[in-house]
Amino acid sequence: MTCRELGPEDISIFSDAICEYFETTSGEKAQVRSAYLLEGDYPENWNDFHGIIPVHGDFTGTVCFSAPKQLLTHVLMLMGDSSYSDAAHLDLVGEIANTLSGRARKHFGEMMKISPPVAFLGKHEKIKTSRAGRPYAIPFTWRTYEAGLVVNLCTL
Amino acid sequence: MRLMIVDDSMIIRNRIAVLANNPRLGKVDIVGLAGDGEQALALAKSKRPDVITMDLTMPKLDGEACISELAKLLPDAHILVVSALSDRATALRAIRNGAHGFLLKPFRDEDLLNSLVELCK
Repeated sequence: MTCRELGPEDISIFSDAICEYFETTSGEKAQVRSAYLLEGDYPENWNDFHGIIPVHGDFTGTVCFSAPKQLLTHVLMLMGDSSYSDAAHLDLVGEIANTLSGRARKHFGEMMKISPPVAFLGKHEKIKTSRAGRPYAIPFTWRTYEAGLVVNLCTL
Repeated sequence: MRLMIVDDSMIIRNRIAVLANNPRLGKVDIVGLAGDGEQALALAKSKRPDVITMDLTMPKLDGEACISELAKLLPDAHILVVSALSDRATALRAIRNGAHGFLLKPFRDEDLLNSLVELCK
């Protein structure tokens, strides 16, 4: 089965989704830097909290949002949530991954099927998914926090 | 208004519950909080909500299937989809299956309030 890897125009959809998410949530856009192809599976500056969205349908692979605890705590505060437990941070990192993936369906269409998020904690945890294509990392800064999205998708 | 909130994110459920206390919405009783479609159907049978906010991407039973069942179970209930799925086909199908409105995530507080006010007119 042949698999078409995503191109820069596809990846820019995710960059736009990151900007839109933080602007809507906080009134302040994220500063998204250039996406780059990862040599391995993970960026150098991998964070503590990760939300992974398994993707299927006409696509295969994953979308993974990775953020430091401080960024997530800040967003929880903006949402009026007063629970700063690990469970709340895991819930939020999964929800952000889900939202960014969902926004990409405007571009990719409904045959990009999105599963509920799997969230986990740990800087050195590995993503337990098969490699779909060449993973792109999209690093960004929101306020003073560094975070990123890893898009590892290809179309069938 | 008897409100049921369906979303697999606890944070989103809590946020909607807090916003539902806004005086613009009048008296709101939150009669159920569900984290998946199966839980939502069970709660709907016993609590009979008249307004429901509904996520689409959820475990066990997803939002689309849940909306179809709720439309049969509670034909007079008003369902507002609150989801990040931004393709047109999904929104149209949700409306065709019984939803009355669609709000995209992420949302601002006033977006949700406006949608609920509109839904309850």
